[in-house]
Amino acid sequence: MLGPLLRRLLPLPLILLAASVVAFALPRLVGGDVTRAVLRARVAADAPDPAVAARVAAELGLDGPVVGQYLRWLGAVLRGDLGIGYVARTPVADQLGSALGVSGLLTGAALVLAAVLGVPAGVFAARRPGGPLDRALSAAGIAGIAVPEFVLAPWLVLVFAVGAGMLPAIGWGAPEHLVLPVLTLAAYPAALAAQLVRAETIDVLGRDHVRLARAKGLPERRVLWRHAARLALTSVTSLSGMFVAGLLGGAVVVETVFGIPGVGRLLLDAVLARDLPVVQAGTLVLVAVAVVAGMVAEVAQLALDPVAHDREADR
Amino acid sequence: MRRVGAGAGALLLLVVVVPVLLPDPVATDFAAILRPPSAAHPLGTDQLGRDVAARLLVGARLTLGLSVVTVLVTGAVGTAVGLACGYAGGRAGRAVLRLTDLLAALPTVLFGLLAAVVLGPGPVALLIAVTLVGWTPFARQAHQLTVREVGQGYVEGAAALGAGRVRVLGGHVLRNVARPLVAHACVRLAGTLLAVSGLSFLGLGIQPPTPEWGAMVAEGREFLFAAPHVVLAPSVAVVLVAALALLAGRALGDSAAGRRSPARSRAGCREHPRRSAGGNRMGDPPAPP
Repeated sequence: MLGPLLRRLLPLPLILLAASVVAFALPRLVGGDVTRAVLRARVAADAPDPAVAARVAAELGLDGPVVGQYLRWLGAVLRGDLGIGYVARTPVADQLGSALGVSGLLTGAALVLAAVLGVPAGVFAARRPGGPLDRALSAAGIAGIAVPEFVLAPWLVLVFAVGAGMLPAIGWGAPEHLVLPVLTLAAYPAALAAQLVRAETIDVLGRDHVRLARAKGLPERRVLWRHAARLALTSVTSLSGMFVAGLLGGAVVVETVFGIPGVGRLLLDAVLARDLPVVQAGTLVLVAVAVVAGMVAEVAQLALDPVAHDREADR
Repeated sequence: MRRVGAGAGALLLLVVVVPVLLPDPVATDFAAILRPPSAAHPLGTDQLGRDVAARLLVGARLTLGLSVVTVLVTGAVGTAVGLACGYAGGRAGRAVLRLTDLLAALPTVLFGLLAAVVLGPGPVALLIAVTLVGWTPFARQAHQLTVREVGQGYVEGAAALGAGRVRVLGGHVLRNVARPLVAHACVRLAGTLLAVSGLSFLGLGIQPPTPEWGAMVAEGREFLFAAPHVVLAPSVAVVLVAALALLAGRALGDSAAGRRSPARSRAGCREHPRRSAGGNRMGDPPAPP
């Protein structure tokens, strides 16, 4: 148990280190003089006074050799100091902190909704592959994947907010603000989960232990849920990377359309305004969340699924 | 299969020929703003009086063209990586595959954002962003298929006859995994299309006034209540093409699975029963935008 666990956790620091190098290199890749960019953003002066420029460079940690700059920057990041945003001129850590809470709530709610909708749909569809329920759910699944967030969101707003007037179109703070964004964000993972659970469950239903369970005379419902669906779920867990990537990517669109102050919108606004400290910190956070979520899911799968455990031991 | 070909041909005709007959997609007409569909403008006009139908079809060239090019490039790269890892196996193969999985867990939007910040938003940044992660699903799929094929007798036979690695992979294995990979490419086309238009919607890809479906949705969104037809046309186009690509992928995947099954039963009990069941039917879902 511990061996495979360690093997899975080992790449984590490496990935984060790689992400930190990318984040650090970002302002240098952007080209141009960062100091001047900052000054231009702050005072709209094109030709800065050299003395002022030197002071700003020192303030931003942009003087001295590159490796030293990187280590200093990394040290500051590890202490939780992510710098000052160019645009808002407030600490990036504060901006990111509040945004993370918002995005966490949004994506967490969407993930729960997707599981509640997608998993039963997949299991029921697998009961009779090719049957009417399976075909209906499969059509819904195609729709869920083919309709992107940026199409779904405006139409939901038009129907439910503008047309029916039941829900607010944009904003954040009240519980009703959650409804449309969560619906939009959950559509893709729900369809994905249904598709994966269906395929896995069909697979598991053909295995020997299911035949044994049926031969024992267990009711079909028990066979389906206890013996088939549970095992199917553990294999789907290992594909969590696709869900994480889907949710994080979708969150950028959903937060932009619904005016939600989350990480996605913070990052998008920062990119469009070239607010580099925010982009750097946002990149680090997104990579960390994606990688850690994937690891957690894999470890959970390893703990749950005896077959994966055996396979791991065989290697 | 033939129907899919006919559909693709019709689409090509529509995209290449028809725009010549339509009004200029960027010509503005302030006398006819946000007009509903009429004889002169079959899909109405947008907030600058531009013809929505012309923009839709010219935008199709860009949206679909970029998506197809991306799928071809990422498909070639991903397949090569997957074949090599699947054939070589061992520690190195596993390490590359692990890296692929980690990369696949990062949202394409993140790469879109980074590319936009470094290169400035535009078609180049867009192409780089969708290519950087786009090859990973192909690699995973090709790896899975290759591992299955490598255990078969013909691979051993070819190697025994003195075929080198490149020849075994390129000449023998690739030919046998090509069909499911083409099916996968269709599914990936849907995902890539959604990524391309999604990034353009966010302002990270194709910039207005150039017509692109995602950018058209973004531009028309402000006038959604007054003139829903401006957003409706590109919305329907995106969803329709993505759904068609998904369905084509599923149909091709099913026929590929059907074709392989007799050979597989001959290969006998060496194979794990799990492998032969689901697999291709589900067709890997597309990466999200």
